[in-house]
Amino acid sequence: MNFTSSDFDQLFSMSDDSNPLMMVVWILPIILFVFYGQQIQLFVTSREIKKGLKKLESFREYSRIELINYVKNNLNAKNDPEKKIDKFLDYFTIMPVDMDPNGIVDKVRHTVRSREDYTREHVKLLSPEMTDVELTKVQTLLEIASSLQMIYKIMNHMFLTAKKQNNYPLILPLQMILPFIMEQAEAMKEAIPAFKIGQPVGDGIGPMVVGKMMLNNEKELITFQTSLAKINFEDRKLFLLKAEGPGSTVGRPADGLEKIISENKIDTIIMIDAALKMEGEDSASVAQGFGAAIGGIGTERFQIEAVATTNKIPIFSIVVKQSVKEAITLMTKEIADTAEDVRIQVHEMIRENTRAGQSVVIIGVGNTSGVPQ
Amino acid sequence: MIFSKKKITTEYSVEQCIQCGSLTKRKFHDGDVLFAEISKCTSCNGSTRIEKIFGETVEQ
Repeated sequence: MNFTSSDFDQLFSMSDDSNPLMMVVWILPIILFVFYGQQIQLFVTSREIKKGLKKLESFREYSRIELINYVKNNLNAKNDPEKKIDKFLDYFTIMPVDMDPNGIVDKVRHTVRSREDYTREHVKLLSPEMTDVELTKVQTLLEIASSLQMIYKIMNHMFLTAKKQNNYPLILPLQMILPFIMEQAEAMKEAIPAFKIGQPVGDGIGPMVVGKMMLNNEKELITFQTSLAKINFEDRKLFLLKAEGPGSTVGRPADGLEKIISENKIDTIIMIDAALKMEGEDSASVAQGFGAAIGGIGTERFQIEAVATTNKIPIFSIVVKQSVKEAITLMTKEIADTAEDVRIQVHEMIRENTRAGQSVVIIGVGNTSGVPQ
Repeated sequence: MIFSKKKITTEYSVEQCIQCGSLTKRKFHDGDVLFAEISKCTSCNGSTRIEKIFGETVEQ
């Protein structure tokens, strides 16, 4: 065959529909994509997800090693803590059945608190000399490490299932949620140094404002890990409530509020908390609103709303907007700078919504790491 | 990522004198917690209290 005489113009001619080579060039990819399109997409997406999973695995390992090293180096552990910590990391919580939602909140609260109590008691056994502040730090680090472990396991399971079934639609939800999961996981990983050193995090803005108001006043432990101070402000009685710092805890504000209301006539509740900002919103912007500003699994909010409704007490809220990462990593300058502004807004809120002689509960909601009172 | 800049966070503590109100920003030391009274004011010798602890991030 004489290849030198080939006319390339004719061979790849776009105008000539009858050219057999051109027909193959166009039809072959179409056939390929019709029959193997999903597999090709699965291959491309898999590579992307694998990268994310590798990152998640490294976060999981980093948090585990950081926790083990922290216990080994700072807490004079009796025995090698590695085995025990690995056991803690694999603990799971089975949430109560919600087919009959009646009484579900009490059940959830009981389950979660039992888990917390169990972990606290067993972490304490790692080192008999452990102080309460150190204990809260280890508990938080354990919470981060077990969350990262759980995230990795679930994502890996979803990925491997899709691969095993060779099923492209199964991998789609994974691809969609991966960026959000990565954002949360990265935030958790970056939160570790702040909690280890005991620095205030973005979520601590509520306790920071209330803690400052509590300074130089008598404080009492009203309920587990929750501090109360009673002060007077322009002929009003203020009950200041926050988690007991500087340990890393959120306390039990709902129990505290219930106790205050059972012993006193309260006219208004004001809650100060960090809130997740929406995309496009400025970080560290302050907003006011109605209703209980408190996160978590919902049991605390439920209890606060219930006690406020029973006693017909209005709840006002002030929130400082921030991202997930800002909420659990070292407080940024912008967030710290809002503390004074929030305190002024609390005072204005008290003046606008109460009269002289009335009583107000002010709750600083959030993790109180590095924030005493 | 190839073109992403490295971010470095520096931790600071801001102390405020309880008497004269002057502010001093310094690097965070281990053991610093908010509202702790740990040093003396350089201008009036009054007690200073940690008012803020925060991180400032710069891209390199």
